[in-house]
Amino acid sequence: MSPIVNPAVNPEATTFNLERGLAAFRAEIDGPVAAFFSSCVHCGICAQSCPFYLETGDPKYTPILKLEPLRLVWESEFTLWGKIKGALGLQRKVTDAMLAEWEELIYDSCSMCGRCSMVCPVGNDIQAMVRKSREGMVAAGHAPEGLAGAAVRAVKTGSPMGLQWKTLQVQIEHVQTSSGLTVPVDQPGVDYLVMLSSMEVINFPEYLEAITKIFDHAGVTWTLSTQCFEATNAGIQIGNKDIAALLVERVVDAAVKLGVKNVISPECGHAYTAIRWEGPNLIGRRYPFRVFHIIEVLDQLRAQGRITTEGKELDRLSLHDPCNLARKSGVIQQQRNLMDLVADQFVELPEHGRFQWCCGAGGGVSSNERAEPLKLAAFKRKKAQIEAVEPERMVTMCATCRTQLEEGLEHFNMDIPVVGLTELIADHLVDKEEPA
Amino acid sequence: MTAKKHSVGEHLRDQGVSRRAFLKFCTASASLMALPPGLIPAMAAALEQARRPSVIWLSFQECTGCTESLTRSHAPTVEDLILEMISLDYHHTLQAAAGEAAEAAREQAMKDNFGNYLLIVDGSLPGPDANPGYSTIAGVSNYAMLMEAVEGAAAVIAVGTCAAFGGLPEAAPNPTGAVAVMDLIKDKPLVNVSGCPPVPMVISGVLAHYLAFGRLPELDEYHRPLAFFGQSIHDRCYRRPFYDKGLFAETFDDEGARAGWCLYRLGCKGPSTYNACATMRWNAGTSWPIEAGHPCLGCSEPRFWDAGSFYAPLSVPTDLSSTQVLTAGAAGALVGGTVATLARRTVETAAASRQPVTADELEQTL
Repeated sequence: MSPIVNPAVNPEATTFNLERGLAAFRAEIDGPVAAFFSSCVHCGICAQSCPFYLETGDPKYTPILKLEPLRLVWESEFTLWGKIKGALGLQRKVTDAMLAEWEELIYDSCSMCGRCSMVCPVGNDIQAMVRKSREGMVAAGHAPEGLAGAAVRAVKTGSPMGLQWKTLQVQIEHVQTSSGLTVPVDQPGVDYLVMLSSMEVINFPEYLEAITKIFDHAGVTWTLSTQCFEATNAGIQIGNKDIAALLVERVVDAAVKLGVKNVISPECGHAYTAIRWEGPNLIGRRYPFRVFHIIEVLDQLRAQGRITTEGKELDRLSLHDPCNLARKSGVIQQQRNLMDLVADQFVELPEHGRFQWCCGAGGGVSSNERAEPLKLAAFKRKKAQIEAVEPERMVTMCATCRTQLEEGLEHFNMDIPVVGLTELIADHLVDKEEPA
Repeated sequence: MTAKKHSVGEHLRDQGVSRRAFLKFCTASASLMALPPGLIPAMAAALEQARRPSVIWLSFQECTGCTESLTRSHAPTVEDLILEMISLDYHHTLQAAAGEAAEAAREQAMKDNFGNYLLIVDGSLPGPDANPGYSTIAGVSNYAMLMEAVEGAAAVIAVGTCAAFGGLPEAAPNPTGAVAVMDLIKDKPLVNVSGCPPVPMVISGVLAHYLAFGRLPELDEYHRPLAFFGQSIHDRCYRRPFYDKGLFAETFDDEGARAGWCLYRLGCKGPSTYNACATMRWNAGTSWPIEAGHPCLGCSEPRFWDAGSFYAPLSVPTDLSSTQVLTAGAAGALVGGTVATLARRTVETAAASRQPVTADELEQTL
């Protein structure tokens, strides 16, 4: 939905405050929200699905409680009982102090991993309501500083980490030198527009080299865009549809300008759900192209016989499914098909696929420095899973998950390196036969 | 009474009943009560040896329908056999004696078999607080006669819905203050064989069980033998497939009625009625009410006479017309629609007055 600008609003008065926040909460209440709150049976199963509650044991981290501000707005303004209670002065009101208290619950202790939505016996989509609640929090001025900073940088510089094209340009040159291949830039009419995440550009430059090699191997036409290379969406993380829509528009503009058929979201979880699922709703129109996660594209190429590999990794490997990819988007089998290509000893974590456990860093938690202790606490769930199968290395396909796994494993002195699945595939490509 | 000196087996042979007919009866009775086949020889042996028990049958506020039912035997003279196997010492409809001689026979039997006789009751009776004059026999109130007879009884069998649950005499406004037998007797083993009237084989089956095993069969919460009252009419009804498909007769004369569809909408109480009609049927297995095209009245259930119209479907309110229901529904939809519209307007207003967030604004907060 495109943002509705009310001309009556005084531009001078554009400060965040409680009234503005309540209006944003109110605007988020729809049929599903009313149905969800009406159906909650207070069973508490959502608590048992939440790594933040389970690893801290603090009941305030029960997922449904995180929605209390949204629930109070719904109850007091949309239900008869709430109105009667309000008239009698018995209805609890959402105050600025309450929202300040809830900031930790809605941001720091929720990675929007969606496990609570999955297990809720009455089907309440709790993580979607956390996303909605964040709209109200931003408008009320209760968004964490780390996320606000990322959103500002994303809008103003094109990258949540303040990264610029010139940095990427240096990367591209490195890749070209080391691989002897050309990284196509601003090529119109190709099959794929490749998006990246700043995290990859800075921390995992091997990703760009890997896709360059794989696409050359498979004969795929692709390009980067100087107009927009950033796939991540800080607007989704902080929970504001105006900024989220603006960032999605940039990707759409770049893709339309180059006339590509497909857009590839990188090894990142939320970037994929943002552009694949939320995007068209945010901008209010259909895309003239299709969107895939890199893992989906690689599996398609594998199925078409366009990827030929040789040799296998001989150590014991296990796989971490990113929540956004597996639970929220159903991309589960693809990464396993690819693992089978290159892994000799692949062992599943005890709970994987749709029911995997979050690494603890998603949903903006990793951009929110204040949430560091909670992020590490939630990681203990993943750690226990990894300990149960004792892999020699972990494989994943999301830069945020990968960073969290690396940092968490290091914190607990576990010597288990983490690799990206795309690089693993690139390492095993059969060399192209040189034309005679 | 020489018969009392004989075992059942001896007595049957005296009466010219063949061994074959006797075993057939045992097999039929055992299968009726869902007993395992291995128990048939045991039952036959037990019945052979059983001393014919004295039975005293008291009829109170009743219509004799239950006795009529019992005498409508099917299967080779099963009920005749039962009558041979017991010593029916008092039954004022069936006995030849009358007047003082009849009462004397009862008193003699009670005295001779004190503690051992079976007491069968059909019909309800005016309770202890009611006017005893509504029903008397030989000048004795039903209540006094029952209390006197029950004292030496080994067990009590209440035959028919009137005896079991009060039945028609107890129906509103219950002018005679009628009560069921189980309302008065708490300290003796008691079986209710309900039905208006009960299926004849059920009466004989309970007696056979008592004779063969010396105890009463397993009972449900209304003291009815589970073997016969364990399943609902609905669950065993041959028209059930039509119910499952949603095919219902709407009147007694429509296409559905002729095609033999489910009678639920014509008021059939099959789903809430527990009895053996659907499996054992009536008149020597000829037919039964639902097969004859009439919904089940639920006659084996407590208060069946007062449970609303026989022709009102079970789950439809009996006191609201369809117009009233539709009006209430329309009013509810109108109120719900209005509330939903108002709520949507609130959301739309909020969305319209929502100020878009800009990066500049966010930057000011840093």
